[in-house]
Amino acid sequence: MVFEKVVEILRNYKDEPELEVTMESSFEGLELDSLDTVELVMEIEEAFDTSIEMDGSLKTIGDVVGLIEKAIA
Amino acid sequence: MIKTPLCDLLDIEFPILQGGMAWISDAQLAAAVSNAGGLGIISSMNADENWLRLEIQKCKSLTSKPFGVNVMLMNPHVDKIAQVLIDEKVPVVTTGAGNPGKFMKLWIDAGIKVIPVVPSSGLARYSERAGATAVIAEGGESGGHVGELATMPLVPQVCDVVSIPVIAAGGIGDGRGIAAAFMLGAVGVQLGTRFLVAHETNVHENYKDKIIKAKDIDTTLTGRSLGHPVRCLKTTFAKDFIKAENDPSTLNETLEEFGRGALRIAAQEGDSQKGCFMSGQIAGLIHEKASVNEIIIKLVKETEIALTGGTQWIK
Repeated sequence: MVFEKVVEILRNYKDEPELEVTMESSFEGLELDSLDTVELVMEIEEAFDTSIEMDGSLKTIGDVVGLIEKAIA
Repeated sequence: MIKTPLCDLLDIEFPILQGGMAWISDAQLAAAVSNAGGLGIISSMNADENWLRLEIQKCKSLTSKPFGVNVMLMNPHVDKIAQVLIDEKVPVVTTGAGNPGKFMKLWIDAGIKVIPVVPSSGLARYSERAGATAVIAEGGESGGHVGELATMPLVPQVCDVVSIPVIAAGGIGDGRGIAAAFMLGAVGVQLGTRFLVAHETNVHENYKDKIIKAKDIDTTLTGRSLGHPVRCLKTTFAKDFIKAENDPSTLNETLEEFGRGALRIAAQEGDSQKGCFMSGQIAGLIHEKASVNEIIIKLVKETEIALTGGTQWIK
């Protein structure tokens, strides 16, 4: 459920409704730089009404999904 | 007199910060700026914790006023640097080249005021949430490592999304620039290049002379292809670097090697063949060397004139 929501936010953020995303998709591979990552992660945090650590270890969509799942568990 | 909420917040007389410039902003310059009523900032660049500790102690011996340290988050010694700031009870920390999230709580718990330099409204919002005292919205007109946005669009967009004070930086060289920054919603400014030519600044005289000689069109961006653009004067070094950068056969490693140590060479040796003379676009506004105190007094006076003069257009 978290993954699906994250994908929806990501597709909306990039304005690409058909964007292929997996848990393994990296921010770099999705052409998101560090500033995009900050924006996107904050949007995701706000959607789940929680916050996660953004310390540079976030590399993939799976990393974000994992931390959000942990935060809202 | 120019006074904004930033003055009380940082316990300074004027809302003017001196930017942390690697190989340029040392204890002597920082102390001079703080003594003149602004906030002086030591650049910890890529230095180790021992160098920084001595520099902080030197600054304390030269001023009883608050001062800051700029932390370059990509510094390999950054973990130890972070601790030195706490041990030495540095009043203000500004951060650049990354997201300071990892250290925010540590510094804030130690009573340090943290002011990240941000190139986007998203990072500003994130910094506020993490407990930042203020943010420095720095546009790409500045010298050194720059972001994509220019100051004019960046500052109001940052002001719109945070409720902490916003300090404008990039492209500010005189009181007109400071007044403009206030109009955009900032309550403070950070200037780098303007202070580079101060008598108290320990850089090679060639560097100061080049800034004074520079015109509006004399800066350029190097390192775009490496993902970290650097604004500097169009010297032989910069032209050679850009030539190599535009040559598709040049490896990134070769470029990185080309640029290594180039700022130190500029600052200490003044060598325009091998040195990278970082400078903001306002270099063309600077026509003379002066003491830090004279620079700050002039900036404040010019700001008063510009702000007062602005009302003439209200009919």
